[in-house]
Amino acid sequence: MIYFDNAATTKPDKDCLGRAEKYLTDQFYNPSALYAEGYNLHLDLRSARESILSHIADKNAYELIITSCGSEADNQAVFCAGRRGNIVTTSGEHAAVYSAVSEAKLRGGDVRFAKLNADGSVNEESLLSLVDKDTSLVSVIHVNNETGAVNDINSLAAKVKKINSRTVFHSDGVQAYGKLPYRLSQNVDLYSLSAHKIGALKGTGALIKRKTLNIKPYIYGGGQENGLRSGTENVFGIKMLEYAADKVYGNLQENYKKISAVKGRLCELLDKNIFTVLSPQSGSPYILTVAAEGVRGETALHAVNDKGLIIGTGSACSSNAAKRHSRVITACGINDKLADSVLRISFCCNNTAEEAELAAEILNKTVGELKEALK
Amino acid sequence: MEKVIIIRYAEIHLKGKNRGYFEHIFAVNMEKSLKGIRHEIHRQSGRYLVEGFADENTDLIVNKIKRVFGVHSVSVAYKVPSDMNEIFNAAKLVAGESGTFKVETHRADKTFPLNSPQISAEIGGRMLESNRLLKVDVHNPDFVINIDVRENGTALVFNKFESGADGMPVGTAGKGLLLISGGIDSPVAGHMIAKRGMKIEGLHFHSYPYTNMQARQKVNDLAAVLSEYNCGFTLNVVSVKRIQEEIHKNCNGAYMVTLLRRFMMRIAEIIADKNGDQCIITGESLGQVASQTVEGMTSSNSVIKNLPVLRPLCGFDKNEIIERSRKIGTYEISIQPFEDCCTVFLPEYPIIKPKIEDVLAEEAKLDVEGLITDALSTLEITEL
Repeated sequence: MIYFDNAATTKPDKDCLGRAEKYLTDQFYNPSALYAEGYNLHLDLRSARESILSHIADKNAYELIITSCGSEADNQAVFCAGRRGNIVTTSGEHAAVYSAVSEAKLRGGDVRFAKLNADGSVNEESLLSLVDKDTSLVSVIHVNNETGAVNDINSLAAKVKKINSRTVFHSDGVQAYGKLPYRLSQNVDLYSLSAHKIGALKGTGALIKRKTLNIKPYIYGGGQENGLRSGTENVFGIKMLEYAADKVYGNLQENYKKISAVKGRLCELLDKNIFTVLSPQSGSPYILTVAAEGVRGETALHAVNDKGLIIGTGSACSSNAAKRHSRVITACGINDKLADSVLRISFCCNNTAEEAELAAEILNKTVGELKEALK
Repeated sequence: MEKVIIIRYAEIHLKGKNRGYFEHIFAVNMEKSLKGIRHEIHRQSGRYLVEGFADENTDLIVNKIKRVFGVHSVSVAYKVPSDMNEIFNAAKLVAGESGTFKVETHRADKTFPLNSPQISAEIGGRMLESNRLLKVDVHNPDFVINIDVRENGTALVFNKFESGADGMPVGTAGKGLLLISGGIDSPVAGHMIAKRGMKIEGLHFHSYPYTNMQARQKVNDLAAVLSEYNCGFTLNVVSVKRIQEEIHKNCNGAYMVTLLRRFMMRIAEIIADKNGDQCIITGESLGQVASQTVEGMTSSNSVIKNLPVLRPLCGFDKNEIIERSRKIGTYEISIQPFEDCCTVFLPEYPIIKPKIEDVLAEEAKLDVEGLITDALSTLEITEL
């Protein structure tokens, strides 16, 4: 079975699992406990947080708040930083931001959505035109999870700060962390990431925060994570994230090159009479979004699944067109027929060119046959 | 104090000489529905008593019994020796803390020293003495204390009649094959026929990969609900993927649904014959969608050789069907937005009143026998 749905989740890394196992068994103590066994874990987590953070940000200027997932990190950013004035975001956000700001809007907030370019990146002009002196929060996804388009968040953050230096800039970096080479500039105040997208586990995420920024907690309780996210620490999950991040950042450039080649190979082999590539050339090498006009995405997904290839889709099976099409794909201006047939193929650092070749063969044959049958 | 559940049955008591046959099946069905839960069921002059169950299972048993066809009503009661002090203690337990009430007594044991009105009066009087917040109102009470003095030296005390599913015991009126989609209508149709005592099984058509796994699971979930009324449910599932592809390839697209329905009916009759089903049941309602016209029904009926096709919803409005669907507990499952095979390859303008000669001309373009054999080879059977 070839697994090309890594933007949904990745297979947990066996080496990391082996290294972290002791935190499930022997080192089970509560890190908030006062005895040595607990306190040692507390110290262990302190260094883990620094380590996870240091791959993309200056550990003197930023701190890391561990959360239970990327969605929680996004929610904390929206509800704890966007408390006054207006919130500016994009139509290309992941549901974790989009639904959170929609809720903020329902509660009476002024929420503004910037337009997208055809590839799924945010339209800079549109975004900046929405920011004003009352903007409390701007949230822009780093790598669009449906098309792979990359937003230059450092540059956007700088431009936002020029308009309003008090605006908090947040970015959802779930599809970027551990995959793209970048470092956060000082203009980015908050940054969300998720462990299970890089070979660690579901149930762990993090919000990176500029130290000098004051935000409120989202979950109150015993005061863990510097009071910003209470709840007994998931030591095993956090250590898994630390180890997995170490591993992917140890080979970041090589992985980037290798996966660019995997994506390139697949792109090259896909039958252009069947597939239209929607992902931008300049996008993340880890996501390739295509459309096979005339074949509903979900039908193609099931058919290739039976042939041994697992991929994702941009649409859900619903007879209601408005609900069926992905909000993000529609916001890219892609017509209904194409939007109906979107497939998301996404990689992890362990995928190979051979897998890409086999996948191309399955896709061309299986989706080709469906297209013929549905003509 | 021992809790028991009183079960009163519906139409069975109208039966004459074959009443024993109906009662036997009814008892077997109740036992089936309570399988795995510790209990005993005893027959007692025109009603049944469930006894010997754990207190925490009371609601579970009541809910299961309420779904057995033939059950008219159910009451949870306290069973006490026929003694006024004991009856009074039980009455206190079933009474409300305040408000108006009345006592209704039924005395089967004619040797009991007090007659029914005397029992009611005495218990009512004691209730008033014991709780100053209570008042008697025999015309419009907030609650009723029911006392049933039985012949065997025991009395049952309860305050509520919960409605059962009514109808006739499943298995007393033959067997039928229900065509079940994932929609609102077909489970309701199945429920109606099962209610009249017919044991039903299901046949579902899918078109994977054009339809998804959720659509398939939805049908399993619906079948599981029907299973509770039907004392088990056999679900047959057949793929019509190739049939739809071939119709799409060879025939006028406007006839997709009409032709597909004829295939479904043919396959249904083959499976029904094999399983000993005596009829085919569908959830069609006249005029609800383009294919559910009398012409459409004529077209699909004409491929059936022997069996009657029951369409119990024919005269119902959609709202009436939805109301029933909510009542039997299938609505929330049915409205999940997953497509069944009918919506794939859907023509823009389907034929509303297909002429049989046109249908036959379109069908002649297909290898009907070959496609049916092919479809039957995909048959999967699940017991729910």
